[in-house]
Amino acid sequence: MLRRIEIPIALTIIFTLLQTIPYYFRWESNLKLVDPIEQASSIASQWVLLIVAWSIFIGVISLLQVHGKTVQKRSKGWHYSIIVLVSCIVMAIAGLPFAEVGLGIKNPVYTFLFNYAQSPLSATVFATIAFFITSAAYRSFRAKNIEATIVLVAGLLMVMSNAPLFTATLPVVKTIGQWIYDVPNMATNRAVTIGGALGLVALAIRTLLGRERGYLRGGGD
Amino acid sequence: MANLIAGRIFGLICLLIVMVAVTYFIRRAEKGKVPKVRRIAGIDAIDEAIGRAVEMGRPVMAAHGIANLRDSTTGPQTIAGLSVLSYVAKKCAEVGTRVIVPIRQPEVWPIAAEIVETAYRMAGKPEEYQSTDIMYLSDQQFGYSSSVMGILMREKPGAHIMIGAYWAESMQLAEVGATVGAMQISGTAQVSQIPFFLVSTDYCLIGEEIYAAGAYLSNEPALIASLAGQDVGRILAVALGIIGSLLTTVGIKALIDLTKW
Repeated sequence: MLRRIEIPIALTIIFTLLQTIPYYFRWESNLKLVDPIEQASSIASQWVLLIVAWSIFIGVISLLQVHGKTVQKRSKGWHYSIIVLVSCIVMAIAGLPFAEVGLGIKNPVYTFLFNYAQSPLSATVFATIAFFITSAAYRSFRAKNIEATIVLVAGLLMVMSNAPLFTATLPVVKTIGQWIYDVPNMATNRAVTIGGALGLVALAIRTLLGRERGYLRGGGD
Repeated sequence: MANLIAGRIFGLICLLIVMVAVTYFIRRAEKGKVPKVRRIAGIDAIDEAIGRAVEMGRPVMAAHGIANLRDSTTGPQTIAGLSVLSYVAKKCAEVGTRVIVPIRQPEVWPIAAEIVETAYRMAGKPEEYQSTDIMYLSDQQFGYSSSVMGILMREKPGAHIMIGAYWAESMQLAEVGATVGAMQISGTAQVSQIPFFLVSTDYCLIGEEIYAAGAYLSNEPALIASLAGQDVGRILAVALGIIGSLLTTVGIKALIDLTKW
């Protein structure tokens, strides 16, 4: 009899094979039948889309639980949770796909919140990365040992090779910067990519063999 | 009748070689021959980070990246992150400290919640599990990152573990984690984000190390042995790289043609 953990393992193996086999094999027949595995793979992909669409409701429930509890307990920053809850509910209602009653993605409230709240807020948070990079560079670019010194020198050369002040007065920094980018950086990049791909294959094999269970109920039975 | 698709045969052969090697080492480990695996400082430091959080009386923040489970290259990073979460949750449940899990992809929420709840049940403390600590934040990249930064500032975790796929938000999360004094362990296979994690966190798992983390932490001989099987693929990749470079240098394109087979 199957134990509870064996069912998701079996499903993982079946659906992984359904996605992998059509990548390497094509079904050819004089009867011009549709490739059965590819068809199954296509149906599985559609299921995935449906599951993901439904999982959004789970996300919203979690969001309402977390922020509802924060407001209820008057925890630190609870007033921000009210903004989250109101925004979530207003956007959800305004975005409902009922165009005949004025709702949906063309609804003025929805477009206003999207254009004047969500987009600028996202852009603002993205822009703050520049300040985080500066503070990280200040903390990290210290010649504490050989490795840190290499990072410091390479970082400084890259900054100089991209700054017109240096490229105009000392053109060689451009060439050095390009060399660092093309040679040591590219070599490391490829080594990490190949290593990562091999690690990924090993993880896939462990998953296919039902050995990798950490992501399933803590790996227990 | 099923036929092999041209252009993908060489890739399939390489895949089969690695699969056979991994399976061989797993079988070998089952017979008692477990290969030695090098210590990975970042993974060993997870216990230290949790212990530090306990001593400080602060929670542990354990994130598994912002990728979904569907993408072929970033999805496995989320699985690797969830395997680490499984270990972190078990340890936190044992020592009785909170574990906070921020989530961007709603389809990952039930899995993460199940992992953490199971960890508390296995530790015999189901009443200590708080479902509201497994938080879905936003599917928007910077909505998620600003939420995590807010949680970091409010909760001030003693340990911040980030293993999975990250993009531009990596620097924000790591810097705010450093600001609140958390011991930080990061890991990603996103090549463009590794430098950010390296300079701003205490320990960083680079590329393949994140995939090895689950096996390494499980301490199961068969899983540890699979890491040795992976080395066969590495030897194959290095050999093909060297032979390909030499052959291309002397004008022979045979290996390049073979990869297109």
